[in-house]
Amino acid sequence: MSLEMTMSQPLSRESRGFPDYELPRLVRLTDNLHGAAFFLMKLLPARHMLDRAAADGRLKPGGTICETTSGTFGLALAMLAAVRGYKLILVSDPAIDEHLHKRLLELGVTLEIVEKPYEIGGFQTARLDRLRAALEANPGSFCPSQYGNADNPRAYAEVAEQIAERLGHVDCLVGTVGSGGSMSGIARFLRHLNPDLHVIGVDTPNSVVFGQPDGKRLLRGLGNSLVPPNVDHRQFDEIHWVGAAEAFLATRRLHQHHALYQGGTSGAAYLVADWWARTHPDRKVVTLFPDEGHRYVATIYNDDWLAALPGWTGVLPEAPQPVAHPSDVRPSWSSYRWDRQTLDEVLAAANPAARDLAEAA
Amino acid sequence: MPGDVISRFASVRLGTRGNQRKEHGFGQVNGHHGEILQGIFPDDAGRLHRGLVTLPCNIVSSTAVFRPAPGNLVTVPDDKLKAAEAARLTLDSLGLHDQGGHLTVESTIPVGLGMGSSTADVVAAIRAVAHAHGAALAADEVARLAVRAETASDSIMHGDLAILFAQREGIVLEHLGPALPPLEVLSVNTAPGTGVDTVKQPPADYDDWEVQAFRPLRGMLRRAIRTGDAALLGRVATASARISQRHLPKPAFEEINAIAASAGALGIQVAHSGTVVGLLFDPRNPATARRVAEATSRLDTIGLPPALHFRTDAVEVRHVA
Repeated sequence: MSLEMTMSQPLSRESRGFPDYELPRLVRLTDNLHGAAFFLMKLLPARHMLDRAAADGRLKPGGTICETTSGTFGLALAMLAAVRGYKLILVSDPAIDEHLHKRLLELGVTLEIVEKPYEIGGFQTARLDRLRAALEANPGSFCPSQYGNADNPRAYAEVAEQIAERLGHVDCLVGTVGSGGSMSGIARFLRHLNPDLHVIGVDTPNSVVFGQPDGKRLLRGLGNSLVPPNVDHRQFDEIHWVGAAEAFLATRRLHQHHALYQGGTSGAAYLVADWWARTHPDRKVVTLFPDEGHRYVATIYNDDWLAALPGWTGVLPEAPQPVAHPSDVRPSWSSYRWDRQTLDEVLAAANPAARDLAEAA
Repeated sequence: MPGDVISRFASVRLGTRGNQRKEHGFGQVNGHHGEILQGIFPDDAGRLHRGLVTLPCNIVSSTAVFRPAPGNLVTVPDDKLKAAEAARLTLDSLGLHDQGGHLTVESTIPVGLGMGSSTADVVAAIRAVAHAHGAALAADEVARLAVRAETASDSIMHGDLAILFAQREGIVLEHLGPALPPLEVLSVNTAPGTGVDTVKQPPADYDDWEVQAFRPLRGMLRRAIRTGDAALLGRVATASARISQRHLPKPAFEEINAIAASAGALGIQVAHSGTVVGLLFDPRNPATARRVAEATSRLDTIGLPPALHFRTDAVEVRHVA
């Protein structure tokens, strides 16, 4: 969009929305650790993407939005579509949370559940095919594409503004990575003010985002089976992979020690941020807690459910296990010095064959 | 029209106080040293505006004297066209359409460096005309007249107030505080002898990322001013200078930035529509004298000796060259 067009765009505040729900509440957890606790983080990028699309005509008044999601991005779109009068078609799969499913239907969403995974490409490819069909069946409809839409990371300038205004200079940013929007966006904005900002991305084993082989993941809301274009790998100094059991235990500890009732991704971020803050007591750390805990009453906040988890020990590791390459990641908390490299650079170095060749030479 | 509003107020003043026309009116305003921050900013309603935060430089100024007379408006020197236009607009806004006079403008502000020479002439002229007619114009009224005279104006009519100013509209987008935290500035002219036509320059065409990136800069600026934190101010200025470098590149920008960093400066700031770059230091830090000396000698070695060295919170001044 041209600058002139941007400057003359309709005022987002004239459209209905949830401005006071978009930004996190900042909570000081320890002397040098601050949590940014969101109600529903995805409201901010969803609103920004819809505003921009409405401004340049990709989204017409009363128009149709189609997206594939089984998570909180869908909920954010549904809330905005409900109050702004858009029709919303969401493509999901049977893994969608039962309560979220009901809530989306109540908000007027047309929910298309893909029943069977493809033999090659699994649910991900099947959902993308169904999305394509929905877009074709609804000419003129708008697909926000949170994984590739550059307005997703750009939306987070408002969080960077809040952090800069409330906390001033920050030494370290820690957060989970799923679409790449929040962490790549905030990291780049804050680094413009502090080139030395230390950025730690939190992923989970069996997620391909930072070079793990794809696999089944129990921890949702971070990681991915594809590498979203919105992940700007060069923003990250350090990557941690946190397993489901330790993320859930850390979620409970965040509630027990700091009275913050958040979801599982918040626990993963807290585990890593708390460790870094303890080992760097002179540095100011801020970490992102993407959603609240109410959706996890029957799971993360249920002791019986936790105890039945595979590999449940009930004990939190004190520190991550450093690995030489992402391919060495174990099922539990590991860390890797990413050093602001691209994924290709890391993969080339992490390829055991390439490594062996290099060692033999 | 703002002019008509001013005209109504002014008429009331003139009417109630009688004809307060003086033989001479006098106007003066200080220059500036470019900006701490310049970009695109939302107002309270979310509408986007071009805006800036000026770095005051109170060691240079423009002065105008206006002697009312019937008939034509004569300006000396006669190439001060914007000042002449501003004087005319001010007379009209006071309802004095047939009134002319003799306007003299003098300035110590270098031209073409982005230090506010044009706006300073315009504001001095407006103040001199108003003063000659006993009309006390508020800074907002002066700003609107200045923008009408020269399309885009600096915020110097607001003095040392720390404000986010919409330079093409003449309005205050945000009152940030009574003043910026004090700074000691080492000034470098990166293009001596050439200069920039600061008035004719097209406004910067910021991209979508930059439009958003100004938000955290504004956030950190609010904190810097609220807490008097000069170091945060230096970070904001350096970040804004980096964006400006994509639109109006300064020669030797990276070299100057490296010298500032190695000498322990808080950061650098630029004239976003000019040629000067300022190395920013904390005047309250005892190491500043040594750091300024070190930066000065390094700037000498790259052929860019500092032309000015001033503090924003004091009139004390040392001309380096």
